[in-house]
Amino acid sequence: MTVALVLLLLVLVLVNVPIAVALGLVAVVAIVATGGVGALPNAGLLMFSGSTKFPLIAIPLFILAGAIMNRSGISRRLVAFASAVFGFIRGGLSMVSISASMFFAEISGSAVADVAALGSILIPAMRKRGYSREFAAAVTSSSATLAVIIPPSIPMILYGVMSNASVVELFVAGILPGVAGGLLMMFVAYLWARRAKLPMEESFRLGHVWRTFREAGWSLLLPVVILGGIFGGWVTATEGAGLAVVAALLIGGVVYRELSVARLRRAILECGRQTAVVMLLVASSALLGDFLTEVRVPQQIAASIMEITDSKLAILALLNLFLLAIGLFLHSAAAIILVVPVVMPLIEAAGIDPVHFGLIVTLNLGIGQQTPPVASVLVTACSVARADIWRVTRANLWFIAVLVAILGVVTYVPGFSMALVELFYR
Amino acid sequence: MTESRTGAGTRGARRVFRRTLEAVVVVLVAALAAVVVLGVAFRKAGAALVWYDEAASILLAWLTYYGAALVALKRGHIGVPVLVERLRGRVRTVVLLVGEAAVVGFFLVLAWAGLQVQGALAGTALVSMPAVPAALAQSVIPIGAVLFIVAQLLSLPGALRGGGGEAGEGGGALP
Repeated sequence: MTVALVLLLLVLVLVNVPIAVALGLVAVVAIVATGGVGALPNAGLLMFSGSTKFPLIAIPLFILAGAIMNRSGISRRLVAFASAVFGFIRGGLSMVSISASMFFAEISGSAVADVAALGSILIPAMRKRGYSREFAAAVTSSSATLAVIIPPSIPMILYGVMSNASVVELFVAGILPGVAGGLLMMFVAYLWARRAKLPMEESFRLGHVWRTFREAGWSLLLPVVILGGIFGGWVTATEGAGLAVVAALLIGGVVYRELSVARLRRAILECGRQTAVVMLLVASSALLGDFLTEVRVPQQIAASIMEITDSKLAILALLNLFLLAIGLFLHSAAAIILVVPVVMPLIEAAGIDPVHFGLIVTLNLGIGQQTPPVASVLVTACSVARADIWRVTRANLWFIAVLVAILGVVTYVPGFSMALVELFYR
Repeated sequence: MTESRTGAGTRGARRVFRRTLEAVVVVLVAALAAVVVLGVAFRKAGAALVWYDEAASILLAWLTYYGAALVALKRGHIGVPVLVERLRGRVRTVVLLVGEAAVVGFFLVLAWAGLQVQGALAGTALVSMPAVPAALAQSVIPIGAVLFIVAQLLSLPGALRGGGGEAGEGGGALP
């Protein structure tokens, strides 16, 4: 029965039925097969309750805060500040791209939002300064992926809900790997810039740094206040996301005065659309999850793997390979929703910390955002740069190598990501 | 002449449908943000709102299904279009129509299931808001299912021609 359902799912996905609908259809078939037509009204109840998970409310609110900030001139100010700080280094614009991505990641939590916001400013600027199309797209795309590990992170919120892990601890676990990833990417960009003789942008002047800092100050202050509130236990992640919206409205509308009603409406619509895509997946996975729990499929998979090996290292290596493969073909939200409920019993049986595993999942799927054929962030960067996706991938290999290196350290040196969690929360 | 009139009629219907759904989505997102912010403010003031969690959760569910129909109009839900994009001619049309039938079939079942639930919930109310019937909260399932079917059918001509659905602002680019 389970094999037939997996085959049905594959066929539906291959004929381009949206994954959320394919999951729901498979679940409906399973419900009818096990409980008869009389059990079908249950599908209505499950599809409703699956979309009412309170912690997931943080997703639309963080998306909304990011969308409002993006339409309030924040990207321009962040780029100006990053340019004042890093522009004196050879290949300065690539440094600006990486550092601005790290700042932006602290507001939006979405790599696609990050690459769309910064790419439209930085990729044309890099082209003007003699950077190749491919390198410009690659550096913007890869650095945007830092948004999924630097808090707040929408994939982490999804993982937290699907695995019952603490979203706040997941956010904290992402800080060190996110910063390390950004610094390593800057180092790679510098080496590339020296080889390609890319130019410097501007000399380092403290007065200019201070001026641009004051202009960008409010947008830099926002993540400090919101994340500080969440990490300090003053507000929950969902409440912090709500406050982020208020702060974004105040900064965009009152301080910067660049947020018109039309821009606000577009930001709200963008938020509504993105939320609906993710939440429909969550709701239909609840439908299928109910069936999977009943027939104990995840537990059976866990038992079968534990019979082969009970070594944590081997299990993590297997899961890394599996997640990297999944990331080639699935968007991160769909992958988390499909995979996490199935592998969690294995994670528990192997004694792996769910927060530690959460970061591993997020990083793997972040790499998936850079690897075609399904690579949402890379595709967005290529579309802004009007570059061929495979040529950009060749240039991007260096940055993907950085992400893989960070993944290796996160996987096999748990202290690297868990040190801050252990220090503050355990 | 008749064909162009039909085309113009479909485009007009799509526009009205999209604008109506956009208005609903804007109201739902704004309400959700307002409820969460009010919830935080009242909790910090020592007067926590008892209905805050339940109201926000229901708004999220409504946003899910009304937003999903809006995204369906642009064919913006996550799928794997690699195979269909490589097919040509009649084979492509047949494969596409099989997929369409699956989507419409699922939402027909969901609409029926949602209506059954409506009947079962008659006379019950929400826990934290006794004045609000539970059936009203759950009405989003049959209504959302029907809206999704309408969006799917309105965007079908564009999908058959090889494009997305409704032109205009983007679909559901993912976080």
